[in-house]
Amino acid sequence: MLVSGIALLIAGVAFAAYDLATFRSAMVRDLSTEASMVASNSVAALLFNDSHAAEETLGALRASASVVRAQIYTTDGRLFAAYSRDGSAPLPMPQFAPGATEMLAFDASSAYVARVITSDGAPVGIVRIRADLQAMYVRLGRFALIVAAVLVLSLAGALLVSRVSQRAISGPLAAVAASARQVSQAKDYGIRAPHVGTAYELTVLVDSFNEMLAEIQARDRSLQQAHDQLEARVRERTEELHAINSELEAFTYSVSHDLRAPLRHITGFASLLEQEAGAAFNEQARRHLTTITGAASRMATLIDDLLAFSRMGRATVTKRRVDLSQLVREARGEVWTDVDGRRITWEVHELPHVDADPSLLRPVMVNLLSNAIKYTSTRDEARIEVGSEVRQGEVVVFVRDNGVGFDMAYAHKLFGVFQRLHRADEFGGTGIGLANVRRIVQRHGGRTWAEGAVGAGATFYFSLPSQGAAA
Amino acid sequence: MTFRVRRHLRAAAAAVVALISVCPAGAQSAPRSEYEIKAAYLFTFARFVDWPPRAARDDSSFAICVLGTDPFGATLDATIAGAAIRGRKVSVRRISSPEAAGACHIVFVSASEDHRMATLGPALAQSGALTVSDMPQFADRGGMIQFVTAANRVRFEINLQSARQAGLMMSSELLRVASAVRTGGGPV
Repeated sequence: MLVSGIALLIAGVAFAAYDLATFRSAMVRDLSTEASMVASNSVAALLFNDSHAAEETLGALRASASVVRAQIYTTDGRLFAAYSRDGSAPLPMPQFAPGATEMLAFDASSAYVARVITSDGAPVGIVRIRADLQAMYVRLGRFALIVAAVLVLSLAGALLVSRVSQRAISGPLAAVAASARQVSQAKDYGIRAPHVGTAYELTVLVDSFNEMLAEIQARDRSLQQAHDQLEARVRERTEELHAINSELEAFTYSVSHDLRAPLRHITGFASLLEQEAGAAFNEQARRHLTTITGAASRMATLIDDLLAFSRMGRATVTKRRVDLSQLVREARGEVWTDVDGRRITWEVHELPHVDADPSLLRPVMVNLLSNAIKYTSTRDEARIEVGSEVRQGEVVVFVRDNGVGFDMAYAHKLFGVFQRLHRADEFGGTGIGLANVRRIVQRHGGRTWAEGAVGAGATFYFSLPSQGAAA
Repeated sequence: MTFRVRRHLRAAAAAVVALISVCPAGAQSAPRSEYEIKAAYLFTFARFVDWPPRAARDDSSFAICVLGTDPFGATLDATIAGAAIRGRKVSVRRISSPEAAGACHIVFVSASEDHRMATLGPALAQSGALTVSDMPQFADRGGMIQFVTAANRVRFEINLQSARQAGLMMSSELLRVASAVRTGGGPV
């Protein structure tokens, strides 16, 4: 509005200025013409000193409405003839620039034209006419009025048009825009844009917008639903898992306990039998008895391991700062009986401190060391190396031996429960050890793995997360 | 007659001086005499009159003649000295017979010839020159321009018919400033 108003004003002023300029120059031209005519008609009067005739000539200027006063001077400045419309003040003789024959002057209310009257090229007098600029000011006033009127009318018109368009277009658009902003700020997809105005395109826009929002809302809802369902399922599974786990543990525990009793009987009575009737047994019979007791003993170990395994599942991990070197020393103390006088070369490197539960980690070391000892029993020169590696976020500990090794193809089976890669009569023990190792290490947040080759020894690794790093 | 020369005469003289452009404008001395003014007017009349070509008259220069006793003295010569009318050099001649007027453009008939006007008139009319005089009833007797002095001012009356009959064209400007214009003439 302001802009168009200013533009109109500038245009109006420009036109007025141009018109006034042309009007003024026309007025000046007229005055100049009148002066010329008076001049040529006054020559004789001046030459023959007939001021009356000169006054008659000036009197003709009465016909020109704007002329207020006219005077003729002789060349020496004496007033020769005069005409005045309203008895206004006499005009002083004008001073011409050298060589000029006409002179124009203006003041606030009048325009002045002076002209040299010449006869045969020589000056004989001067005529000066004064015209009132009133007409011009009236015109100016009229113009200002017209411009103002046009301005007001066109601004009113523009206002009307803008109001109409506002109602029809910009209003509704603004409403949609406001809704969009609201939605994105509040992340509330339940908001709907209102229907404002009746323009078809706008209605379509608003409807599409609202449909889009409804889409988003629906998608949101189904996403939420799926999420909830998933959560429920996870919860179910977790519960199931817990249930199964506890069942399993309970089962294992009770079975082990229940299995123990008959086993005690077998071992006990086998021993009694040996005591009572052992003397009468022949070689064959004695061998049978040994087999029975051996088997029973193995079974007892198995049950113990199972028990330990189940207990391990229920144990809590209480971490504290543990000196691994110390732990290994303690573990070695526990397995020295397995060494059984064999020549074993130990290479135990400097081991770092770790965050672990020592009561759980010690059996791990014991198991790994005893395995190493066991599987190097075929070697004359057994070599066992214990070392560590600090990696980003974890500490990796390894036990390396130069024993019988294993086929890498079966590496994944090593840490499974009851998984054995060698026959029980080759190397004793049950298959529960490594499974326990894995379980314990996993409870600490670490991993277990192994490398090896048939006949070329094996290396068993486990990692423990180091302080401050994520497991 | 004595004339009190006032500002009017001085102004007219100033105008004449400007016309001549010999003396600097505004260089005034003594007030002009009657015959100085008349001399100036004689000279000025030439601007407002057209002469038809005549075999007897040399139009390459402009001739002002005085018939009869010369009342101007040195004034007329001084007035026209070095001046030009329409680019033509001006000369003054004294003549004694109307026939000689045939070679003149303007003839000033002195008041001394008043008694001879009855015979001069027709002869002058034939000459084709502009006849000017200050003798009384000159215009009534066929003269073209008659100087009349009224209220200490030199005016003139014009007999248009006489001028027309002689083939002379007079500008309306001249007629306007004349104190009287006769369209009916005296005896030719």
